[in-house]
Amino acid sequence: MSENRYGGAGQPAGASTDTWSISPWSDTHPVPSGQVLRDQSIYTQLLEMMLHLRQTMSEHFVQLMSRQGLLQEQRHTEAIREQEALLDRLLCQMINLLQSGAMSGLELQVPLPSEDSRGDVRYGQGTQLSGQPDPVSQLSDCEAAFVSRDLSNRGIDISALYQSKSQGYNAYQKDKYHKDKNTLGFINLGTSENKLCIDLMTERLLESDMNCIEEGLLQYADWRGQPFLREEVARFLTYYCRAPAPLDPENVVVLNGCCSVFSVLAMVLCDPGEAFLIPTPFYGGFAFSSRLYAKVELIPVHLESTITAINTYPFQLTVDKLEEALLEARLEGKNIRGLVLTNPQNPLGDIYSPDSLMKYLEFAKRYDLHVIIDEIYMLSVFDESITFHSVLSMKSLPDRNRTHVIWGTSKDFGISGFRFGALYTHNKEVASAVSAFSFLHSISGIAQHKLCQLLQNTEWIDKVYLPTYRFRLRKAHKYVTAKLKSLEIPFHNRSSGLYVWINLKKYLDPCTFEEEQLLYRRFLDHKLLLSCGKAYMCKEPGWFRLVFADELPRLKLGMRRFCDVLEEQKQDLRVKQLKPPASQPASCSGTP
Amino acid sequence: MFALPQKNFRAPTTCLGPTCTQDMDRSHGDDLEGECSRKLDQKLPGVGDPVMLSSDTSYLSSRGRMIKWFWDLAEEGYRTYHMDEYDEDKNPSGIINLGTSENKLCFDLLSRRLSQSDMQWVEPSLLQYPDWRGHLFLREEVAKFLTFYCKSPVPLRPENVVVLNGGASLFSALATVLCEVGEAFLIPTPYYGAITQHVCLYGNVRLAYVYLDSEGVRVKGLILINPQNPLGDVYSTEELQEYLVFAKRHKLHVIVDEVYMLSVFEESVGYHSVLSLERLPDPQRTHVMWATSKDFGMSGLRFATLYTENKDVATAVASLCRYHGLSGLVQYQMAQLLRDRDWINQVYLPENHARLKAAHTYVSEELRALGIPFLSRGAGFFIWVDLRKYLPKGTFEEEMLLWRRFLDNKVLLSFGKAFECKEPGWFRFVFSDQAHRLRLGMQRVRQVLTGKSQVAEDPHPSQTQKPSDQCSSAELLKLCFSPGPPSPIKQN
Repeated sequence: MSENRYGGAGQPAGASTDTWSISPWSDTHPVPSGQVLRDQSIYTQLLEMMLHLRQTMSEHFVQLMSRQGLLQEQRHTEAIREQEALLDRLLCQMINLLQSGAMSGLELQVPLPSEDSRGDVRYGQGTQLSGQPDPVSQLSDCEAAFVSRDLSNRGIDISALYQSKSQGYNAYQKDKYHKDKNTLGFINLGTSENKLCIDLMTERLLESDMNCIEEGLLQYADWRGQPFLREEVARFLTYYCRAPAPLDPENVVVLNGCCSVFSVLAMVLCDPGEAFLIPTPFYGGFAFSSRLYAKVELIPVHLESTITAINTYPFQLTVDKLEEALLEARLEGKNIRGLVLTNPQNPLGDIYSPDSLMKYLEFAKRYDLHVIIDEIYMLSVFDESITFHSVLSMKSLPDRNRTHVIWGTSKDFGISGFRFGALYTHNKEVASAVSAFSFLHSISGIAQHKLCQLLQNTEWIDKVYLPTYRFRLRKAHKYVTAKLKSLEIPFHNRSSGLYVWINLKKYLDPCTFEEEQLLYRRFLDHKLLLSCGKAYMCKEPGWFRLVFADELPRLKLGMRRFCDVLEEQKQDLRVKQLKPPASQPASCSGTP
Repeated sequence: MFALPQKNFRAPTTCLGPTCTQDMDRSHGDDLEGECSRKLDQKLPGVGDPVMLSSDTSYLSSRGRMIKWFWDLAEEGYRTYHMDEYDEDKNPSGIINLGTSENKLCFDLLSRRLSQSDMQWVEPSLLQYPDWRGHLFLREEVAKFLTFYCKSPVPLRPENVVVLNGGASLFSALATVLCEVGEAFLIPTPYYGAITQHVCLYGNVRLAYVYLDSEGVRVKGLILINPQNPLGDVYSTEELQEYLVFAKRHKLHVIVDEVYMLSVFEESVGYHSVLSLERLPDPQRTHVMWATSKDFGMSGLRFATLYTENKDVATAVASLCRYHGLSGLVQYQMAQLLRDRDWINQVYLPENHARLKAAHTYVSEELRALGIPFLSRGAGFFIWVDLRKYLPKGTFEEEMLLWRRFLDNKVLLSFGKAFECKEPGWFRFVFSDQAHRLRLGMQRVRQVLTGKSQVAEDPHPSQTQKPSDQCSSAELLKLCFSPGPPSPIKQN
């Protein structure tokens, strides 16, 4: 998928996969989304809520009395139910505020302190697996803080979710590092963006074939994407995915970004409340995209870093684990509609072997699951000895009508600002249903022309672009991993993607997600943006994703800040360990 | 965009537009599942092919099936057109499209402007993830542009601007963040029918038509289109003020769609943007939309903008912009275009207006010659034409048949039902097309109306399905997915 904006922000990701009505992306700080109320005292907030409550109740009774006779029974019940839900929500908010007030004086604080055992469960396993959350625990601080009279409840939810997840990124956007103008600005090693080949892309995009204005480009066109672009995408994928037979342009739908493609797939493959399986750690944007419009849940398939009898390598995905997660979720009454895979994997950089891939696909077929495979990093494999096998290269797919492939130019060509994502599916019904959304996710005709020209020129891609890109990736990767080795930081050593998955457990004491979050903030305080493991729903605290696809001077500076932070953190740990262990909950295990 | 031709109609039995897909708001997954299957199992009275909806062999979710079905139906006319598009040389007997509201008159001017060297610019930030509200340079340009062309009494502010890939996306996002599932916007009819789809696809929000009473639905806002589509009317400041005060009284949001604001080609028409008002009755609930699709004849460019003083609404819409973003390079070009006030004022607008006026004059004279009444006030790309006298019984079935007769004679129009017009027999004629196509289109219209068309008149071949067994897709959607039990469809 496209960039990990949200993961990059490093906010806890527990929220995104939670029940989607209200989300506990509780953080150690209140989310500054409640512009309206944030600066007011808690009593003012309570007063506002009481007023709202009173008004709702009076409306409720008016409706009860005046409309009973007029309305159809069911609609009436519906209206009452809605109001009940609202009343309930307001009450919960007040309880939350009172709780936090009681705990921290008058300052607005996290309503549910993270020492709470529920917090641990949430962090460790993702709430969708937890039992019946009580109504109060479902409310987040954001929910309490963000009360807008103008937005719908879902509008509030969307807004708060977005803001909670993009704090770090927004800070970076406002204060970017610049070698002359802003040397103290943020270095972003958190967002998975390929900044290594801007020179090549700029040159290519300024060539004369890129500039074309035709009548067809400026008018309403085929919503699935201009035919010329879909043809080019089909040819491109046939070639780079090594498809055994030419891919069909009719199976291609292009939208403005891979997150749009994923969001629409979730809409048309699932009904609200249904779910996809997804191995962890995974790109946090999936959680956001499945929840935002589609209200689809993600059920994590937890993978472990340790090598055991079942794990021949760290974070190994096996059919047994898939099966176990599926059956467990089914027992809880979840309707699992599909499996989401990213290959090359984000954040691990793993590549699935054709054998494993086949096993996953066969598993999916056995259970009638759709498989969405995101291959957005497919050309970002920088070790020549490794071959990437696209799912489209398979001679025969176990279930071709349920296999849907996503690719885009954001990563492989480093043009995330272009907004382009493509779906390839053999299933005409799915392609056509996705098309129904395409007018909400369409790409400018002018940009479609440029994309077509870009993809068409395989000579430039093969001879100029890819060799340079991979060389630079390799170099940057080597630089970063050498640094990590010298710091004795364990990392997942792979040769694809724009990032390396590193283990900073030894800098956390106790090893909890709270400490992980504090370390993340310490990086931020030093103007360095990284992504923490929790944003990827990693089960074990202490993992971070470090993006290395940046120009060397920035990368070097970033790594210097990285070392500084860890040095500082180490010093703090030394001091901490001298103090007598007070009320610290013991744990440095991944298990909750 | 295009109108929504639908297979067959009967007069609406209720005031509600469709809610497509199920209620997405409830968190009880198990309930929902049961509900969906129950709803799909219900036999729908009068549906031509219910198998399509309840098929067990489908790979889609139930909302996916519904959406696809609705889309296939709605797109019929447009698709037919695309498969057989008129081309002077290659396909002279192809379909002329006087149905889709596009301005095809000024491509020469635009092409020249967009090919100038200032448009070809690439810099790193344009290629990378942007501020999802839109690049600041573009939002600044939009604010200046709207300040000038909307005659705002105070300078508009870039932080109140959110940029998206088209008006449809903007309607969809606003519906999502302002309304709960099943709530409604009030809209005066006839109106640009595609809005129904825009607000319901993701947002699951309905439209309540002003001519009917909207009992039982919670109305959250009011949609005004100014200049109006399809009437080509503009609201006076007094009218605007009155609507806004009404909205304020009822605490309604007002979405003012001003997508045709620079397409007022009759100088005598005094157009007033809502942003020109000295004081808005309820600025926090007034949200303005504008786009380049119509005024700059670039519907394929996918650029629209929201202007709202409400920070919460702007932020909430921006939170969705990740899914509705437009390319950085295009954002740059848009900023260049909007900045070029000289070209807009001295070259583009005068020429565009002159051409619109000429095309309008031609079509209205044709209509007068045929003795056909019509409404048109000198704004927009269309004329609202009264063909009631061609419908002996004055029913929507006949309107549909007439529309098909036009299509069979290779001219695509939009019929009144697609705009939820109350009276059968109204059609929207788009005149903003090149002269040769327009002439041919009008000639084909004349053939049909004077009974001299090539095609057989009666009974129509495609009328083999009995119209009385059909209901409009809007009604059908309502039947399938309204929260309450299906309201009985009156047979006949």
